[in-house]
Amino acid sequence: MSPFALLAATGTATVPIDAASAAAAIPAAIARPELAWAGWILWLPAISAILCTACAAFRVKGKLPAWITIGLLGIASVLVFALYGRVDGPTTIHLFDWIDIAWTGRGPDAPREGIVASFAFYVDGLSLLWMCFVVPLGTLIALYASEYMEPDVGRGYPRFFAGVSIFLFAMSCLVLGDNLVLLYLGWEGVGFASYLLVGYYYTKPSAVAAAKKAFIVNRVGDLGLALGIFLIWLNYGTVEYDGLFHALAASGGEGEAGWSVRAIPFLLMLAAFGKSAQLPLYVWLPDAMEGPTPVSALIHAATMVTAGVYLIARTYPLFHLDPLALPLVAWVGGLTALFAATIGMAQHDIKRIMAYSTISQLGYMFLGLGAITAYGAVYHVFTHAFFKAVLFLTCGAIMHGFAGQLDLRKLSGLAWMPGWRVVAWTMLVGCLALAGFPGLSGYFSKDLILAEAFVSSETRPGWGYAFLGWLGLATAAMTAYYAFRVWFRVCAGPVHFEPGDEAHDAAEDHGGHDGHADHAGHAAAGHDDHGGHGSGGFHPHAPRLAINGVLVILAIGAVLAALPCFIGGDAAHPGWVEWMAARSSAASGVPPHDVHAHPAAFFGLDPHKAMYYVSAVFGIVGLSIAAWLHLLDRGAADRLRNALLAHPLLRWIPLGAERKWYVDELYDIVIRMPLWFLGHVLGFIDRYIVDGLLVDGIARIPRFFGRFIQPLQNGVLQGYAVAMAGGIAFIVAGVVVLFWIWRLGA
Amino acid sequence: MTAALFILIPLAAAIAAAAVPSRLSHWVALAGSMVLVAHGLVAAVFFGAWGTGAFALASEATWLRPLGIELALGADSVAMALVLLNCLLLPLCVAGSFTAVQERQREYYAWMLGLAAAVNGVFLARDVVFFYICFEFTLIPLFFLIAIFGGPNRERASIKFFLYTFTGSLFTLAGLLYVAWQASLAADGAWTFSIAALTDFASTQLSAEQQGMVLLALMAGFAVKVPLFPVHTWLPLAHTEAPTAGSVLLAGVLLKLGTYGLFRFALPMVPTAVEEYAPFIATLSIIGILYAALICWVQDDVKRLVAYSSVSHLGFCVLGLFALNPVGAQGSVLYMINHGLSTGALFLCIGMIYERFHTRDMDAMSGLARRMPVWAFFMVFFTLSSLGLPGLNGFVSEFLCLFGAFISTRDATTGYPGPLGPWYAAIAGLGMILAAMYLLIMLGKIVFGPPKVPGGAGHGHDDHGSPSALPTDLSPREIAVLVPLAVLCLAIGLQPKPLTDAIEGSVIETLRPYARLAVAASEAQPEGGFVLAEGIDRATERATRPLVSQREHSRLAGAEEGAAP
Repeated sequence: MSPFALLAATGTATVPIDAASAAAAIPAAIARPELAWAGWILWLPAISAILCTACAAFRVKGKLPAWITIGLLGIASVLVFALYGRVDGPTTIHLFDWIDIAWTGRGPDAPREGIVASFAFYVDGLSLLWMCFVVPLGTLIALYASEYMEPDVGRGYPRFFAGVSIFLFAMSCLVLGDNLVLLYLGWEGVGFASYLLVGYYYTKPSAVAAAKKAFIVNRVGDLGLALGIFLIWLNYGTVEYDGLFHALAASGGEGEAGWSVRAIPFLLMLAAFGKSAQLPLYVWLPDAMEGPTPVSALIHAATMVTAGVYLIARTYPLFHLDPLALPLVAWVGGLTALFAATIGMAQHDIKRIMAYSTISQLGYMFLGLGAITAYGAVYHVFTHAFFKAVLFLTCGAIMHGFAGQLDLRKLSGLAWMPGWRVVAWTMLVGCLALAGFPGLSGYFSKDLILAEAFVSSETRPGWGYAFLGWLGLATAAMTAYYAFRVWFRVCAGPVHFEPGDEAHDAAEDHGGHDGHADHAGHAAAGHDDHGGHGSGGFHPHAPRLAINGVLVILAIGAVLAALPCFIGGDAAHPGWVEWMAARSSAASGVPPHDVHAHPAAFFGLDPHKAMYYVSAVFGIVGLSIAAWLHLLDRGAADRLRNALLAHPLLRWIPLGAERKWYVDELYDIVIRMPLWFLGHVLGFIDRYIVDGLLVDGIARIPRFFGRFIQPLQNGVLQGYAVAMAGGIAFIVAGVVVLFWIWRLGA
Repeated sequence: MTAALFILIPLAAAIAAAAVPSRLSHWVALAGSMVLVAHGLVAAVFFGAWGTGAFALASEATWLRPLGIELALGADSVAMALVLLNCLLLPLCVAGSFTAVQERQREYYAWMLGLAAAVNGVFLARDVVFFYICFEFTLIPLFFLIAIFGGPNRERASIKFFLYTFTGSLFTLAGLLYVAWQASLAADGAWTFSIAALTDFASTQLSAEQQGMVLLALMAGFAVKVPLFPVHTWLPLAHTEAPTAGSVLLAGVLLKLGTYGLFRFALPMVPTAVEEYAPFIATLSIIGILYAALICWVQDDVKRLVAYSSVSHLGFCVLGLFALNPVGAQGSVLYMINHGLSTGALFLCIGMIYERFHTRDMDAMSGLARRMPVWAFFMVFFTLSSLGLPGLNGFVSEFLCLFGAFISTRDATTGYPGPLGPWYAAIAGLGMILAAMYLLIMLGKIVFGPPKVPGGAGHGHDDHGSPSALPTDLSPREIAVLVPLAVLCLAIGLQPKPLTDAIEGSVIETLRPYARLAVAASEAQPEGGFVLAEGIDRATERATRPLVSQREHSRLAGAEEGAAP
């Protein structure tokens, strides 16, 4: 059966999961005020941010900001685990009132028509799962950064750690918040932290532009989230999850829902696609690599970008309001996975490759959500957090040691260099997990999603899920290829390296002394412990304990993350992650495991079993191609590229992939340029038509007549007075006319 | 007397500042404004009307009663909040001008204090005549502040500002006089100018056509002041040319005279007309939001950019007000306060740059964060507040305004008429994206980027020899000016509830005519608007509600009532 035939087959026998029954399955939350100490999970990072700002204000020279951050985040991690031990089932913890507008009277008995959004927690399996990796990972990466950011001690160092602290505060609000408005606070808050940290090297124009772009593109999604929140209130009268699920369950789902209900999932989706860098809003993430690498690892790989997955998993029942919603999520995810992988295969900057890889892996997560396996998506979030953090942090270590060198053509044989073995082998672990090599964590989580896509093709035919499954498999092969393209090029092969043309802190370092931003000059200016420039006198600067230690811990985590697939749950949900997801809103609407566990959706086989073999084959094929082109015969890759370039019909493939399919250029022409032009046109209109012609022009009319009647009159003041009166009269007349037109129309 | 002191203290300080020698006048002004702040704080603590719709601090002079004019003062919670905003901004403006104004200080501080007195008078007036006198008197001090202490194009700016707003408010006066005249006709020639009495009269006795005319007249003055889209062009010019403190007060409180006027007069006086016109006014505000935001985007002059951003932001404020429900109106009142804080602070920050480099051209400077990290911190902070980052003040009000507009649908069960709807909020929401664009571009140009200082002197830490010999980064005085604003921005962002609770009563009181309309429509609770939703199970009610618009209900109900007697 060809995928296209499946795509064309229009089955109307979909299995509708109705939103009301999905929401009804979620148990009501219990308020537990005695857990109010959990509020410190928010306040500790906030205090850390304040203290780091104070360090900046008092110009602390030293690593104090790092130790403050690591210490307070460490305590917050302990609190997260303490909370984990004390919560069973959905729980709300009220901290303090935030937004509370009511207009139908107050008092215990009065009916409340109003909007209430408090600083309060909604703790269930989903939010705990997220917190369990967000805060500890944040602590570890802060530890890594304490060494990585060393060259900035006494300058940007406190600012960096303040940014990280703000990020963790906002992310905790996002994940733990008990209402959508608090989620919105976290949502924009993490965006702001990302703005601060991507623009950390603020004297570099590219970093400033990237920070700006990230924030603005995300704002598009934020608007979707805001409108989604409004619509949810309009239809359900609350923005708190508990009340929302209750109202949704009570809505009964009778009859055809109106547009205002059905639009909700699409608006939330827009927000998720913005934050999680999916088509068409992914363009900000590759540019965000301008930030320091620990930031890329923490924010742009492991945690913040998964907020979109969290949002959809959290509001999963709402995604059953429209039958198109989940298939659309799946399609966007599947296409993004493929699209980003094609670009990732053609880049040379290893950090950019990892960025495209993140987009691609996030695509898998959305495919999982769309294929009604929130569990698979959440599990992939979990494993991806570990292995992608490892990969970014190894890239960071390389960048740190080789004066900003990130070009995989200029680095080779790291595994054989003294001092770089930890980096090389932990990177191998990360690459294996990313490539879905059998036995590693990424293998299990990716397989779950792919298998579920094939299952969905059976249970919800007509939406092309099988095609998406094949797309995912093809992407798996590409993933293995680009991951090992990096590893074989950088870590294997003969020892050879060229240093980068600027240290990662160059702009920050030198701008202050010579007061100009000539980046070309930085390498020549030299860097005391990085040696001179040119490979002759260059000594790579191998990572020390903090970096190596964190890499090893995370690599172990990336391996062990395979275990929660099998252990830690209960009888119905064998894996810990599945068990956690099952105790949350993400489980709603997902059929019980045993019901759909064994359809013969994949060539008559159970996809869950078959996928273990099929995806392994795809992964190993990709890995083998990488080995051939980038380890055994390194010239072959260039020959292949040149052959393609020479071919008139195929040259678009390498060109397009290398130029990122010209999407940035397209957006520039289609969106930015017209708006910019419109801005100038409106500026002109404002100055010369609204102000010049209407206001001043009317002001000149009496003066004009005055010249005939009373040439000696100095008409400036009076002219204006009459003009203003005339202008107002004109506008009032216009208002009246428009008003009548409008009323006739209405 | 407490209310009168809000006007008398700054007046006395103005006279004192004009009387003492020049080198002392700024200290006198600061002392006077600090006394005003202290008075404001004490009055706020003992203010009896927080959270209720009542008026407190009443005081009236009876010696004009034969003319029907009672010089009555008093404040409800909204007025009080705006008075406090004005009182707070005043010492900051005074302290912010210490180095910027080096000549004719006595006039400068006297006019500034006089301006504060007039603004307080507007907010505290309970009488149309006194309101109008103060409303117009605000123009005179600001006219001189711009004309004497402004930028190169100050003459044109000040004249334009004066005549534009003056002409507009003449229409407002005509409208108010018309209402008073009609009231006196109805009362057999007994004139009154009490706002409360005229509001009662106009909202119940005037016909729909009369209300429409009155609304047009009111809008003519208040829309210019706000400023609303087609009549905004005086603002960028006046802002750009005004001295820093003038811009701060202009953005901080003078624009709020327009929105306060709409809140105090237009909404309660002419409810029928407001309900009819609301979509139209909301459309104008949305055009203003997007139009001004796009213009902001292509500005080179940073002060002009912030001025246009005021036009855009005030659009949100008016939109929330004309959503005609408590969410939008509370958001709108909160917006008045928040915009005063964050845009005022932005003008202060820009003023500090102007004092150092004598330019406002964004292309002339870049990367000032390296040279002035403390200034950069505040600039980024207030910019974020201005673009509505959650956790800071701007978000709460912007969110509530959009929310109010969104849920102001015809079939909403809010108990209020729904003249707007989701599309208004969705299109206005595009302004959020555009605000991020132009404000972050501004930050990217002047705060971040390769370090570059105007005047070609790109090197190191030499001082530019400005006459005031300011330090490279902010001086302690300048930090002290910005810190209170920053603290308030953060406090309102994290804990808006005390403020929203405080102004809730006034907002609901102002919207009372609309709640009545809604009650007549639903015929649920004849005794009042507040318990409308009683007994309604929201979820099921919404699911089964017939799609008959509130407005049709009200028309039907109105027709029945008309037929009954």
